[in-house]
Amino acid sequence: MTYRYVAGRLVQSLVLIGLVVSTAFALIHVAPGDPVTYLYGGQAVSGEVLAQLRHAWGLDRPLWVQYTAYMGNILRGNLGYSQINFQPVAAILGESLPNTLLLMIPSVLLAAVFGIALGIAAARRPGTGADYAIGAVSLVSYATPPFWLSVIFIVVFASRLHWFPTQGMATLGDAGGGLARVADIMWHMVLPLGVLAWWYSASFTRLTRASVLEESRKYYLLTARMKGLSEFQVFYRHALRNAMRSVVTVLGVQLGTMFAGAVMTEIVFAWPGTGRVIYTAILQHDYPVVLGFFLIVGAAVILANLAVDLAYAVIDPRIRFA
Amino acid sequence: MRSAAIAPGREAPPAAADGGRFRRLRSVWRALSRQRVPLVALVLLLMLGAVGALAPAILPGDPNAMTGDTLRPISAAHPFGADYLGRDVLTRIAYGIKTSFIVGLAVAAIAMSVGLACGLAAGYYGEWVEHLLMRTADALLILPGFFLALIVAFLFGGRVITVVMLLGLTGWPQIARIARAEVLSLKTAEFVESARAAGASNGRIVLKEILPNALPPVLALMSLLMSYGILSEASLSFLGVGDPNVISLGGMLSNGLQYATTAWWVPTFPGAAIFLLVLLLNIIGDGLSMALNPALTRASPGRSNR
Repeated sequence: MTYRYVAGRLVQSLVLIGLVVSTAFALIHVAPGDPVTYLYGGQAVSGEVLAQLRHAWGLDRPLWVQYTAYMGNILRGNLGYSQINFQPVAAILGESLPNTLLLMIPSVLLAAVFGIALGIAAARRPGTGADYAIGAVSLVSYATPPFWLSVIFIVVFASRLHWFPTQGMATLGDAGGGLARVADIMWHMVLPLGVLAWWYSASFTRLTRASVLEESRKYYLLTARMKGLSEFQVFYRHALRNAMRSVVTVLGVQLGTMFAGAVMTEIVFAWPGTGRVIYTAILQHDYPVVLGFFLIVGAAVILANLAVDLAYAVIDPRIRFA
Repeated sequence: MRSAAIAPGREAPPAAADGGRFRRLRSVWRALSRQRVPLVALVLLLMLGAVGALAPAILPGDPNAMTGDTLRPISAAHPFGADYLGRDVLTRIAYGIKTSFIVGLAVAAIAMSVGLACGLAAGYYGEWVEHLLMRTADALLILPGFFLALIVAFLFGGRVITVVMLLGLTGWPQIARIARAEVLSLKTAEFVESARAAGASNGRIVLKEILPNALPPVLALMSLLMSYGILSEASLSFLGVGDPNVISLGGMLSNGLQYATTAWWVPTFPGAAIFLLVLLLNIIGDGLSMALNPALTRASPGRSNR
């Protein structure tokens, strides 16, 4: 039965990725103008030359031919070329993605540790002052737009207090290698990482509190207590374990939003990640880069959800034997 | 189970037990009005809405008027300072709040209508209708709606109407799921059976009997949908794909970014307005879900109250 579930989810994910790619293709063709007008719009190019270009690029061929060619290119990892510097889009995004992950992964881990701990602390004492205080803090951090918190951090910690740099990932012209470079990057990381961890942790706290409370109402815990298990065992071995499953699922769904937050934080701090790339591409109307970014993010989010669900099928007997 | 064969009488189907299809809705409102913090948040939100709606009357200055006060700090003339073109930040924020409200309400309205329609249909008719609608909802939940809005706004121009339609049409799956679950539990309820026995049509049963009772948990999500709409619009404008003809809080923040170190008020206050709107909406959302599900604060079974 597991195989059927896994196979079903795999097929579903592939269909979804196909859907994302097809959406991108459809959007380019529905959008006003075609690639040639995007490239040469407003320039003194004769209609004859434009027609030749359209022919050379196969834009005058039937739509389905263009569609299969597009799909084929993407399957081979060819996402097109930037219209500004003519670099392959896959390479541009490939270079910047590690910097985004360098920021995102530590913030998610930090947020998970703090957020889950706070969520447990609140759920252990529902209705008390501590619960309300944790609830209020997580509500405020949940509502703080990451791009605004970034501005505040820059104003307070960089501009006023001069504790941290305002921009970038490394000090310009600093040729120091090895440990000095690592330390320099970490110093630049503190503020953006703080913003993201602060924002992410709110989701962890709220989800943990809600799902722990949800689990604590279930009667298997009463059974566990009647068996004479200690409160510690009842909570950490039974309730928390089950609660964590729903936390991970919901976070899988929120991955796109989390990535969007990272993108905007990067922009404020001029961090050289995918956020910076997409922001510049939007300003320069470099549409192959923007589309490539959409494809990569879409596929990444779908695959991450698949990974979460498959990890579950292995852990959770209710899915395994369903 | 459908009883279309029973000859429909002329008399109206009996109303739900103890007269009031809106009984549940009213009890939720009562539970909500007992909570102080969400009520205060609601009042503050309405006040902000009034500021946005009445902006031209309260702040008669032209939000786009460029004065000589370029980057002028906080003063009597400019309570929130002036931006890089000498425009009054406070006036622009009032107009930005108006945009945010319009976007938030429209996104919530579209997502609610589509979600309710799909959820009710899926739950009531079941079979392939349910399969088709719920698989679509699953797919939309996984696909990153914000990035889809980003790409469409980028290719087609991010006019407010485009942004609102996109966010609304990608934001409905949660509503549909909840509405469907409500229908499944209400479908076999006695008052629904009795309406059916009295010969009420499917449409009548869904709209008059099931919908009012399925509404409360869906309404609880409305404020969260509004905050999703407001935050997404601000983010799109921040990324430079917003409506250039509309004053947007996200656009103000983005345009003021380069002055963060020299004129902090330019990006800080518009961001504070977004924060306040989203915070108030989330407080109201929390209050609503608490009113719907008071058990969330109750202790667990069999656990001693130390």
